This record gives sequence, C-alpha cells and structure tokens, in this order.
Amino acid sequence: MPENPTSVRLDVQLGRLRLANPIMVASGTFGYAREMAGLVNLKRLGGIVPKTITQQPRAGNPPQRTVETAAGMLNSIGLDNDGVEAFIARQLPYLAALGPAVIVSIAGKSSEEFVQLAQRLQEADGIDAVELNVSCPNVSGGTDFGADPSLCERVVASVRRACSYPVLAKLTPNVTNVAEIARAAEAAGADALSLVNTCLGMAVDWRRRRPVLGNVLGGLSGPAIKPIALRIVYQVAQAVKIPLVGIGGIASIDDAMEFFVAGASAVQIGTANFYDPTATMRILDALPDALAELGARSVKEVVGTIGK
Amino acid sequence: MSTPTYADHAWHGPVTVDENVCIARDTYRIRFACGEIARRVLPGQFIMLRLAECNDPLLGRPLAVYDVSADADGKPHYLDVVYLVVGKMTRLLAETPAGARLESWGPLGNGFPPTPAEHLVMVAGGIGQTPFLMLAREYSGQRTYGDPPRKVPPSKKITLCYGARGSEFLACVEDFRRVGVDVQLSTDDGSLGHHGLVTELIAPVVERSQWPCRLVCCGPEPMMESTARIARELDLPCQVSLESPMACGIGVCFSCVKKIRDSSGNWDYRRTCVEGPVFDAADVEF
Repeated sequence: MPENPTSVRLDVQLGRLRLANPIMVASGTFGYAREMAGLVNLKRLGGIVPKTITQQPRAGNPPQRTVETAAGMLNSIGLDNDGVEAFIARQLPYLAALGPAVIVSIAGKSSEEFVQLAQRLQEADGIDAVELNVSCPNVSGGTDFGADPSLCERVVASVRRACSYPVLAKLTPNVTNVAEIARAAEAAGADALSLVNTCLGMAVDWRRRRPVLGNVLGGLSGPAIKPIALRIVYQVAQAVKIPLVGIGGIASIDDAMEFFVAGASAVQIGTANFYDPTATMRILDALPDALAELGARSVKEVVGTIGK
Repeated sequence: MSTPTYADHAWHGPVTVDENVCIARDTYRIRFACGEIARRVLPGQFIMLRLAECNDPLLGRPLAVYDVSADADGKPHYLDVVYLVVGKMTRLLAETPAGARLESWGPLGNGFPPTPAEHLVMVAGGIGQTPFLMLAREYSGQRTYGDPPRKVPPSKKITLCYGARGSEFLACVEDFRRVGVDVQLSTDDGSLGHHGLVTELIAPVVERSQWPCRLVCCGPEPMMESTARIARELDLPCQVSLESPMACGIGVCFSCVKKIRDSSGNWDYRRTCVEGPVFDAADVEF
C-alpha cells in the first residue's frame, strides 16, 4: 500500500554520520557550495561534499581539462585547490553555517599526508565527516590507495585513528574487484563507502593525432556511467555490511531510487550539477512520493530491497 | 574569493524559442523570451544554453548574448544569441524550430568593465563579433544595460575590426552600421575587405584616430594573442574576452581555466566563467 508521502522519514544513518536526507552533492561538482547559492537552496541538501582538498595548494592540470562525450564527460581537473589552510580559513566557515552535513573530501600523496590532513581538520569546527578520495584518476598515484586492498585498509585505519570524524572511503571503479577493496575499507573501520569515482577514459583528436585532454587521460562521469555505478553498488552491497553512498550519473528521482533499491543508503549528485544546477532540488521534491509509492515509511526500508 | 566570482544573479529555467534564423554561412541568430536574464545582462556577459531533457549532447554551451530587445511595454524581454555551427550541439540547435524548449542559465561572467573609451576599437575574429553589439550600443549612448542600469561615458568614435574566413561567414555587419559603428572588414580569402588578418587592421585605425584608443578583442586564441601584442606595442589598454571549454558556467567545475598573471607577475589558473571571460590582455599568459 502506498504510504502518505508527508509521513515518510527521509533521514539516514551512515555509520556515525547522520543526514537529514539522503541527497548529497559529490566532491568536485559543487565547488565549495557558495558558488551554487544563487541557484540552489543549499539548506535543503542532506550533505555537501566540497571539492577535494590537499595539504598544499595545487594548480591542477593544464587545460583542456574537460571534454563532453556521449551522455557524459571526461575531466582531468587534477585537484586544483588552494590547500587545507585556505579551505579552513575561507570556505569552511560558510559551509559550517549552512546546516547540511559537511563531509570534507581529502586526498593525500601518502598515508601520512592523509593522516596530517585529518589531524588538521580535527582542530577545525563545523565538519561532520571526512571522505577519503583514494580514487582520483587525475593525479599521479591518485588511485593507488583505492586499487590495492592493503593500502586502502592502511589509509582508512590511519585516518580513523587520526580523527574522531566518521570516515567515508570513496572508491574507484577502475579495478577488477571493487568488493575486495570495499571489504578492506570496512575492516579498517570505514563508516560508509562512496561508490564510485570516475571511470578512467580518453578522448582523441584524430586530425591532430593527439589526446584532447591536457593530462591525456581523464575520468568519465555523467549518465554514461550510471549502469557501471549501479552494478558496483549492487555487488558491494552483497560484500559488506556498512552503508553505501551511490554516485554515478544520478540526475533524476528515478536514478536515485534505482541506487537505493540496489543497495545505497544515500546518493551523491555529481555531473548533473553542471548541466542541471537545480537537479538536487527536483530530486528532493520528488523523493517522498517515490518512497511512498513503494509503501515505505523511510528511506531505510527501500535500501537494498532489490529482488526482495 | 570576492563576490563578483559568484553567479548570484543568475537565473535558471526553461525558455521557448521565438525564432531561429540563418544569417550567414553556418551562422544563426536564435531569439527567446527571458526577461529575467534580459534585464540583468551586461555587454560581454554570456549565458549557458542546453537542449532540454537531452543526454547527448549533455552539457550546456556558453554563448555570448548578442542583443536584448523589449516587449510591448518597453521592458527588456527577448535575448538574441548569434552562434556558429561548430559541433554536435550547435548543429542540433540550428535545427531547433520556434516553439521548442531550451534550458538556459545566466547572465554569467563579468562582462566588459564600464571603462571610459574615447575611441573604442572592437577587434573580432570568426564569431567573436557577438559580444560587441551591446557594447557598441552602450558606448554610443543609445542604450543602457543591467539592473540597475549602468552608466558609461559615451565614446567619440567606435570602430569594429572584424575578420572571417570569407565574406559568406561575415554576420551582423549591418546591425553594427545601424548603431553608427565604423566597420572595417577583413577576410582570409580576400573575398571582402582587407585580404589578410583582422589584426592587420588595428594599427592603421589607431594611427588615423584623433582620440586615445581602447581595444577590446574576442576571437580565436592566436588572434587574441596577436591583438594583445599589438596593444602592448602601441601602449594601448586592451581587454580580451576568452573562450574556453566550459561544463557549468558557474564556477564549480574548474574546467575553463586560463593562466592569468597577478600584479607580482606570477600566474595562477583562473576560471574564465566567473573570473572572466573578460581579462586585461596584459595579464593573460597566452
């Protein structure tokens, strides 16, 4: 029986992290949120993952940094950011005052750098969780931690020890067996897993006989990768007990519901923020009705119900 | 980050095509009603335009606003965008009939600053004339733009140096002439005007001028680089309106970066969409 949409509970629990609703925005697709304030009612979001920060400022990769592909895009931004100190001083106060959970995405070149970042963030106010970007395909060594189960386990465990925040590990789809990496992150104490980062790809300008992107390779995102992301969420849901956050081509309420049913407890909207800046608001508007249509009284009741 | 780097005054929503006409080879002018953008837009600002509910092409495209026209009550209401067919999205856009729905967001970017210019020399290559019609109207004192409307001291003379591959690609020339702009043309194939590069027209215009000149430039990157060099040699102020591949137009994707020098001479990647597209030519690392 359909439930009354107004009585549907939207809050979700990702390990120690509680979200008012399961609609988040993905790192690198929403700037530091302030940029979107003119178009989006930021307070309504369940969680905000600002653009990944590193210990030192990074200029990022040379242009051309993005190129559109069929139903998607490739990017090789290369973690262009002003570093953790600038983030804490200039971006965090605004983010912290908004209301939604602030999940700070961090990337380090070594396990020690991840730890130092976590320790520095521990001293700051207004952070609800950290997301470990162990899966960026656009920086040298960026995917190493996410491609090797023992390295992934070590970095997650080290960050868990280094800070008191809930820890999400964002994994790469560019491995043979994501479930193996997911189990390692779970064993190391990750609160939840974000699935997935971009799929490694390439674009070629055949007339000039050269790659289109300045960094040669890039990460594919957008509707084109949704089936891959859904498959990985479905597979990992069978392999681990911790909650999953679905990411990959989500642009509509149907996309979001597919991820919930496949096993995701929350979702992150990514590339859609670029081409449809109010996509998150529309998905939030439609969520209670969609859950009620399945007879659910909460998000949790539909998570991982595929085949049941 | 300062406030001008946020798209706080952008509007986002569906728009309906009013007309979409071919005005030169591979070149179209599309018109749609959007009072929200029309009353705010400044010369040199742009909008994102996207085929509604379409996954391929997926992203919006940044396009300069060419003109704003009023409704029956005299309020800014229609937006005109002039575009060249260069790829999949613009090919489909050219086939879009009146009545079709598009998605748009804007106005975006900084636009041209209201710096006084006794003789404004606009240098355009390819489809780079499109940001200049509104600028010419503004500097001729015929129109004001923005909300509230901004004031610009009128120029004594406005020249458009405009080059294209061949005469069949030259679009909008009569619109500029109607504003009273002195139009100087060039073509790569010599089919009309100066046979050669548009940048070769700049020095003669400046030398003949009775007034101090200010250059503004929009076009292919080598042409803007060349104009920047000429401006430096002639010691003239010059601004360029850059075009770089862009996914969002609102500062969140970090795609559209260009090396821009600061006062100490060090460069950093700046976003063309929110920190540009108009930069001082002397600051751009071409």
